[in-house]
Amino acid sequence: MNILVKISLLLTAFLVLSPASASTAAMPLAKLDIANDKESIQRGFEVYYNNCRFCHQLKYIKYQYLPDIGFDKAKVDALRGSQLINASLQSTMSEAAANEVFGAIPPDLSLMAKARKQGPRYIYTLLTAYYEKSDGGYDNKLMPGIKMPDPFGYSVANENSKVAIEAEAKDVVAFLNWAADPHADERKSLGIYVITYLIILSFLLYVIMKRVWRRLPPPVSEQL
Amino acid sequence: MTDDVKNPDDPERRDFLNTVTGVVAGVGVCAAAWPFISSMNPSRDVLSQSSTEVNLKDLKPGEGKTVAWQGKPVFILHRTDQQIENMSSSQGVKDPEADAERVLKPDWLVVIGICTHLGCVPNRVKDGWFCPCHGSAYDNSGRILHGPAPRNLDLPPYEFLTDSTLLIGRSST
Amino acid sequence: MKKITQWIDRRFPMTAFVKKELSEYPTPRNLSAWWNFGSLSGVVLVIQIITGIFLAMHYKPDAMQAFASVEHIMRDVNYGWLIRFMHSTGASAFFALIFIHMARTLYYGSYRAPRELMWWSGQVLLLMLMATAFMGYLLPWGQMSYWGAQVITSLFGAAPFIGEEIVIWLRGDFTVGDATLNRFFALHYLFPFLIVGLVMIHLVALHMVRSSNPSGINLADKDNIPFHPYFTVKDLFGLSVFLLIYAFFVFYSPNLFIEPDNYIPANPLQTPAHIVPEWYFLPFYAILRAVPDLVGGVIAMGVSVMIFAAMPYLDRSKIPGGARYRPIYRVLFYLFVVNVLVLGYVGAKPPEGWLVPLGQVATVIYFSIFVFLPYISKKEEIWLRAKGLPSVVEELICAEEEEKGKRSQRKNRGKE
Repeated sequence: MNILVKISLLLTAFLVLSPASASTAAMPLAKLDIANDKESIQRGFEVYYNNCRFCHQLKYIKYQYLPDIGFDKAKVDALRGSQLINASLQSTMSEAAANEVFGAIPPDLSLMAKARKQGPRYIYTLLTAYYEKSDGGYDNKLMPGIKMPDPFGYSVANENSKVAIEAEAKDVVAFLNWAADPHADERKSLGIYVITYLIILSFLLYVIMKRVWRRLPPPVSEQL
Repeated sequence: MTDDVKNPDDPERRDFLNTVTGVVAGVGVCAAAWPFISSMNPSRDVLSQSSTEVNLKDLKPGEGKTVAWQGKPVFILHRTDQQIENMSSSQGVKDPEADAERVLKPDWLVVIGICTHLGCVPNRVKDGWFCPCHGSAYDNSGRILHGPAPRNLDLPPYEFLTDSTLLIGRSST
Repeated sequence: MKKITQWIDRRFPMTAFVKKELSEYPTPRNLSAWWNFGSLSGVVLVIQIITGIFLAMHYKPDAMQAFASVEHIMRDVNYGWLIRFMHSTGASAFFALIFIHMARTLYYGSYRAPRELMWWSGQVLLLMLMATAFMGYLLPWGQMSYWGAQVITSLFGAAPFIGEEIVIWLRGDFTVGDATLNRFFALHYLFPFLIVGLVMIHLVALHMVRSSNPSGINLADKDNIPFHPYFTVKDLFGLSVFLLIYAFFVFYSPNLFIEPDNYIPANPLQTPAHIVPEWYFLPFYAILRAVPDLVGGVIAMGVSVMIFAAMPYLDRSKIPGGARYRPIYRVLFYLFVVNVLVLGYVGAKPPEGWLVPLGQVATVIYFSIFVFLPYISKKEEIWLRAKGLPSVVEELICAEEEEKGKRSQRKNRGKE
C-alpha cells in the first residue's frame, strides 16, 4: 500500500504540474463559459451562416445534422436549397479566390474548437482580440499579423457594440463547439449510466471478494 | 436456507448475491455489445439517402427518367393519355394486376428498374422496357409481358410532396 | 452438459486443463493489487482488438480519405464516436497498465531467476506494443500523426551506410505518404494478433515458474491457494475498478489523449510548431533529444528501452526478492521512477532553457542506475548480511548457496 500511495502522489503532482505552463499564446485566453443550450447554438449558427460562411466552410457538418440543434425540416430545406440533405456546408468563396484576396486559405471550421488548445476559449479570444492600430489599420493581439479581416468590426466598435459583438462571438463559439463534437451531449449522458452501472458492479464484486477471502484459512509460513 | 445460516462462508455456496452479480455482469456485457452491433447498420449519411426527392417539372408527357434510390435505379415515366388508356384497359400477361393498383396518379409511373428475373436493369424501348440479359419485356405499367421474369417490376414506396415533387422512400425527419 | 464435457474430455484434455491451469492453479496467497495489472493488460488487449476491428470496417487507409473517414466514424457511424474514443483511450490505458506492470516487476524483483524468460517475453511484448501504437497513431492522418511518423521513420536514417535506403524502404515513398499509411494500416492490424501469440507464451512461462509474490520469497506449496475463487474474484473486482476509470476518460475527457494538432489534416508542407509524441513515449523521446548527436541519440533511445532486458544480470544481490529486504534497491527504484517522470516532463516541453540540461542530467541518471546496479546490489548485499538479515531470508540464501555448491561439485565430478 505504501508504494501505491507514493506513486499516486507522484503521478498526481506530475499531472497537475505539467499543463501549468502549457500556454504559449501571445496573450492569455479569455475566461469563457461555453454555452451548450440549443438557443445559443442556433444563434451561433446564424452568425456563422451570415458572416463566417463566406470564407470558411464546415466540411464535416452536413445539413442533415442541423435538426440536432433544433432546426425544423422547413428551416433546413430553406437553408440547403437545391443541395442534397447530406451535403456539407460549403463556403461561398472558393479556396483559390480566398487565397488571392487574403493571401491564405481560410481554414475549415468544423474541428476548430478541438484543433487548438482550449479551442473554444481560443476562438472567442481571437474574435475579440482585434484592435485599431495608430495608422488606422487593425491587428490581432492573439495572432499578430492575422490575415482574417476583423469579422465583427470589433477593433472600431464603441463600448456598447463591443458588448453585442462579444455576445455574438460567444454564440458562434457555442456553435463551433457543437460542430467539433456533435455527439458530446450524447456521450456525457450515456457516460452517467455506464459509470453508475460500473459503480454498482464494483460494489457487488467487492462484497463477494471480501466474503470469499474471509473464509481463507490462516497462512502456514510465518514470514507472511 | 438452513444451509446458508449454518455455513455462510462455504466457498461453493451459490446464493442470491452471486446470482445478482452474475446477472448484472451479463446484462452489462450484452449492453456493451450493442454499440458494436449497431455500428454495422447503415450509418447516418447512408440513411439520409434512404429517400430520394425528384423534381418532376421538366418531364413532359411521354418522357421518363431514371433516378437512383438507395442505390437502385427507379424508372419514372410521365405517361401520355394514350398510354394511360392502353394500360388501364389491360391486365398484363404473366402476373395480372390492374394498372390502377400500380400507380398513385395515373400520369406518373414509378417502378424499381430491376428485372425481377436476375436483377439486370431493363432498357427503355418503344412501348415499355426490355431486359437485355434474358429478354423479359415489360409494358408501360411495368408489368411483365413475356420472358423469364416471374413478376411485374416492383414498386418503391413513394409520395407526391407537391404536384411537381416526388419523394421516393419513406420520408425521414 | 456432463455428457458433452465427457465427450470432449475423451478427445481433448479440457477439464484437466481448466483444473490445472485455472481453477486449481496454485497462486501465492499474498498477491497484492499490484499483481492485477497483467490480467488487466490482457483485457485491454481484447478491447483494443475488438474496437479496432470495428473501426477498420469504416476506416479508409488512403491519404486522401483517411482523415475524413475518421470524422465519418466520429459523426455518422452509429456509436462510431464511442468505439473510436474507446480505442484511442484504450491505447493510453494499455501503456499505463504495462508501465505499472513493469514497475511492479522491478520493485518486487520478479524479473529474477527463474523468471527471466517472462521478463524477456514481456520486453518483446513492450516493443511490439510500442510499434503497434506508433503505427496506429499515423492512421487518423492528422498533423501530429504525420509528423510523428515522419520523425520516427527518419530515426532509422541513423543506421550506418544504408540509413537513407532503410528510411525510404520503410516509407515506400520519399516522405511519409499514401504507401506508408497503407502499410502501417496492414501492420497495425497484424501486430495485435502476434501480440496475442506472444502473450500465450508469456502465460505458459508464467504457469511454469508460477507467480512471484510481494515477500520475494518463493512460497512453500502449502501457502499457495487455488486461483478460483480467490483470484478470479480479485481480478474481476480489479477489472471493474479499471473499467470505471477507463469509462471516466472515454466519456468525460476522451480528447485528453488526442493532441489538438491531430484534428488538423496532415500537411506535408507545414510542421506544427511543437511536435510531441504520445505521453507514453515522452521519457524515451526526452532521452533521444538529450543526446546532441543524432546517431548517439537514436542509440541512447534504443538502449533505454532495451536495457531492461539485462536486469536479471545487472542485479547481482543474493538477497531474494526485490525492495522488501533491500533498502538501497528501494531507493534506487524510487529514484528511477521519479527520474522517468522528470524525463517525461522534459519530453513534453520544447527543448529550451534549463530543460535541456535537466533532460541531460536525467538521461545520465537513467543509465547510471543500470550501470551501477551490479556494483551497488553486491555492496548492498554485503552490508545487509553483515548487519544481519531476518533469519528466514538468511536461511534461504544459505540454502541457495549450498544448492549451488552441490551443483558445481556434481559438475566437477562429471568432468573427472
